[in-house]
Amino acid sequence: MIRISGLSFRYRGGSEEALKEIDLTVRRGDFLGIIGSSGAGKTTLLHAINGIVPHHFRGEFYGSVEVDGSDTVENRPEDLARKVGSVRQDFESQMVSSVVEDEILFGLENFSVPRDDIEHRIADALDKTGIANLRERNIATLSGGQKQKVAIAAIIALMPEILILDEPTGELDPKSSRQIFRLLKELNEKHGITVVVVEQKIMLLCEFADSLAVMDRGRIILEGPVREVLKSSREMESAGVNCPRVVTLADRLREERLYDGPAPVSISEAEAMVRSITG
Amino acid sequence: MIGGFLDYSPGDSFLHRLNPLAKIFLSLMLCVSCFVTDSLYFCLFMILLDLAMAAWAGISGRAMAMLEALVKLSALLFLIQVFFIREGNVILLLPMDIRVTDKGALFSLLMALRLIGATMPLALMLSITRMNDLSNVLVGTLGIPYKYAFSLTTAIRFIPVFTAAMAGIIEAQTARGVSFDTRNIFTKIGLIFPLCVPLLVTSVRKIEGAAISAELRGFNLRKRESGYKNYPIRAADIGVFLFAVTVAVLGVIVP
Repeated sequence: MIRISGLSFRYRGGSEEALKEIDLTVRRGDFLGIIGSSGAGKTTLLHAINGIVPHHFRGEFYGSVEVDGSDTVENRPEDLARKVGSVRQDFESQMVSSVVEDEILFGLENFSVPRDDIEHRIADALDKTGIANLRERNIATLSGGQKQKVAIAAIIALMPEILILDEPTGELDPKSSRQIFRLLKELNEKHGITVVVVEQKIMLLCEFADSLAVMDRGRIILEGPVREVLKSSREMESAGVNCPRVVTLADRLREERLYDGPAPVSISEAEAMVRSITG
Repeated sequence: MIGGFLDYSPGDSFLHRLNPLAKIFLSLMLCVSCFVTDSLYFCLFMILLDLAMAAWAGISGRAMAMLEALVKLSALLFLIQVFFIREGNVILLLPMDIRVTDKGALFSLLMALRLIGATMPLALMLSITRMNDLSNVLVGTLGIPYKYAFSLTTAIRFIPVFTAAMAGIIEAQTARGVSFDTRNIFTKIGLIFPLCVPLLVTSVRKIEGAAISAELRGFNLRKRESGYKNYPIRAADIGVFLFAVTVAVLGVIVP
């Protein structure tokens, strides 16, 4: 679905490469989480997938990015957008309308979605994101979290094959963050939508993502199924990524030769791990 | 204040339900009538009509805030005008041969009232019209290319965004000890002027972000017939068109 080969990119005027020799394959139906410290290249990588790099942000681009067989250099972002729905980190700037309903309608009208489908799509996107009561509200009067949900609803309504999201829970409280990730998981499992999400809340990624990519200074240093990646907690920490405490606990227990099982990714799994030791 | 006034105010009043074209035509005709009239009373009547329409649309609070801001601006305009017109009978003689004449006072008052009467209708109508409806009707009915209609509505939408950004920058500067409370207008301009640079940077970033987001949601794929809603011209709209023309004609013929 997404094939990235030998991708390096340096922004015009940039002193060093934002992305360095990235190789990554995301299969149809995958749920990939990307994590890394600030400046690791996460947002640039997402921009390379939706075509913003190199079409909008120009620079030295080496390697290739293919989305469902289409080279992102040869296809314009608006053509790629038929398949790739993007929720940007700066969701405020994503807003192009003054009313919630119109914000969702914007993309649907642009892609000439049949009129008979539009009402259903708007209602469905609002329901899924839990903001049906905000439909007629002026966006300027919403809180940051509510605006973030509107930004996500506007993309979900387009029903893309691939959903890429840049820190979609940055302004959300823990409950709303879980709600958004549950929604992403539902879209992934029930509708087969491929999800690529950059997120700093590692516990959410551990719980909902199938695989994890850890970025550091423009490179992907770790990539694979979540539990496999979590085994390399020391490399993650050296890349500025805090491992979940349950993973750190499992590592310590391994060092003490008290535990040899898979890394737990939730509190309940950690509880089971401790019980297996204490009996 | 003005930024808040331009924010869309939801509602279901008669004015809200009008075709966007009828709303814009009405506001333009009210504006034109203020400019073509030479009658102070007619200008006052137009301001009262604006306030009545605002009350009808349920946005009296906004209208009064707008009126307050415009009265201050008009007072400044009046003072600038009144000392430069020397025709007519002197009604006030000040030192350094500065004089106020009856003609000058009346003309300056007319200019001040024109400014208020001509500015309020458009701001009022924009605050009860969704920008999406406005751009759709400009494209679908008037045949204006979507790019231009979108640019127009985005520019209007960004006014309150930039006002909020400027308020944020001023707050940040105030938190660092800069006092913007000074009554000296020149000191105030001196303090605010350097803030134009961060505002410009913020604005360019926001506009660039909006452009990218629009592109990622198929902006360039839009066609004239892409609009979801229909905007038929109803009897009420025709009535408003006729009323608007009547007001403009009255502006010409009222002595």
